[in-house]
Amino acid sequence: MDRITLPERQEWRAKAAELGFTFADMHGEPYWDETSAYSFTLEEVEGRIEDPCTELHAMCREAVGTVLADEALMERMGLPRLRWEFIRDSWEAGEPEVYGRFDLAYDGKGPAKLLEYNADTPTSLYESASFQWLWYEDQLAARVLPEGSDQFNRLHEALVERFAEIFPANTDLHFAAMAGAPEDYATVETMAWAAREAGMGAHYTDLEKIGISEEGQFTDADDRVIGTLFKLYPWEDLFADEFSAHLVGAQCRFIEPPWKALLSNKAILPVLWQMFPGHPNLLPSFFADDTKGLADAAHLMLAGHVTKPIFSREGASVTITAQGRVLERAENREYDRHPMIVQGYSPLPVMGGMRPVIGAWVVGETCVGMGVREDRALITQDLSRFKPHFIEG
Amino acid sequence: MKRSRAVSLGILGAAAFGLAACQQEEQTEAAAFPDEQSCVAAAAQGGWFTREDCAATFAEAQAVHAETAPRYESRELCEEEHGAGACGGDAVAGNSGGGSIFMPLLAGYLIGQALGGGRAMAQPVVSKAGGGFATPTGGTQLSRLNSTGKMGSTAFAKGPTTAGQPPMSRAAVASRGGFGGSAASRSVGS
Repeated sequence: MDRITLPERQEWRAKAAELGFTFADMHGEPYWDETSAYSFTLEEVEGRIEDPCTELHAMCREAVGTVLADEALMERMGLPRLRWEFIRDSWEAGEPEVYGRFDLAYDGKGPAKLLEYNADTPTSLYESASFQWLWYEDQLAARVLPEGSDQFNRLHEALVERFAEIFPANTDLHFAAMAGAPEDYATVETMAWAAREAGMGAHYTDLEKIGISEEGQFTDADDRVIGTLFKLYPWEDLFADEFSAHLVGAQCRFIEPPWKALLSNKAILPVLWQMFPGHPNLLPSFFADDTKGLADAAHLMLAGHVTKPIFSREGASVTITAQGRVLERAENREYDRHPMIVQGYSPLPVMGGMRPVIGAWVVGETCVGMGVREDRALITQDLSRFKPHFIEG
Repeated sequence: MKRSRAVSLGILGAAAFGLAACQQEEQTEAAAFPDEQSCVAAAAQGGWFTREDCAATFAEAQAVHAETAPRYESRELCEEEHGAGACGGDAVAGNSGGGSIFMPLLAGYLIGQALGGGRAMAQPVVSKAGGGFATPTGGTQLSRLNSTGKMGSTAFAKGPTTAGQPPMSRAAVASRGGFGGSAASRSVGS
């Protein structure tokens, strides 16, 4: 793994504007940044990212079964008891998953370590699957990157295959995001492109415009009944919404399925550590009130520890502590009221003054691609930059 | 090869769906009246429309209303949506339709300045249960008539034809807006 300075494509901003990639700059800072790129060897991508993440997903599936069978663990998930059966039913019915993103700390030397699993509402799909791919093809054509190089990015094709695999042809799928969030909309639209290519009917509705019919089915902004809903909106929030009482009777299939609420949840990290202690891709993790577990594991956390809420987005309410001193504390504390977990601190590598986090994408049950985000801060937050990557020839 | 052979590059916000979100729409001058006479009275005060515009747009609004106003299978259902006494039998189907179809009465109309000149635009409005008015699709809502102001030009886009269609062939919607209230922030992805 290396961070290499490369010439930018001269026309990339015009291209981004033309393609509608409106958030290539965000908050007055570049979000898409191709002044440098991350390079990997093929062995590294396959042996350190791809295969371990496919295995991590299988471990996560096993953990779902374990949690559902254990009431004490279900309590730890912080989800309303009224919805437990709905979650369990989706698992027992084998409702298929579509996608997820593992965030990994990887320094090019040791094994990649799982920071968290964005298994329910991962974003940055457009940047990863499409704009990053275009960057690679352009740079290959311009001979900035050599013949024989490659990129780990089968994301789009894998999504097309996944939709074709789990839905009959011409199934009408609805795609919903909150209105007014272009990053979220871009992910939803990228997903819809893949569904269209797989022969599905794709319809968009703002999440807030979803209605409930007199028969108790969900309807879109045009009153059409929703049979399958891709919702870029977290299950734990959906469960707290007024319409959650209608979930069971709505005869609606969801993407991601309800059981993903157990994996996008950081309470799964201590469960994984209990089930697979010492696994090379896991960091020691404990529930914050598990004082005995934490005391026994003190020798595993000499580099420090990270406190995270079980539900949180973009690094909110995360605190990193080392040698009894707070190294960094996220300013955004809006998730402070949630239960916390404690995870061993695995410092991100520093490359060119920036700290990269690997986002490894899982489609279906297989790792199919990656993207890299980097940040100056220790906690990757919403000002991080998306960086393209390539595999050396 | 570990990458896709081809990828839809996508024009975000435009093409993947039949319906695009995030569209910037043009604004136009508009006014709302309960009837043609009110429009003519306003035209006499001066402004961007004439009494001829009032007559032409009122006639057009009546025709568009007959063609696109929502149809219901019962008067009760119609009145639940549009208020007591605000509904009548289907004027287009008349007595020949066989079944009974109900639709809201024309409560007024919108007149809009055409973008780039040309004929003034027209759109019927019907009343809503609980007060206020809306275009036949419900896409544009007004608190009162005899008002003027800027309005998105899509308010004048004609809704789907409902005349001759089975009443409420889509699902009858009891309520809306029960999702999205718990989001901690505007962007909820991770």
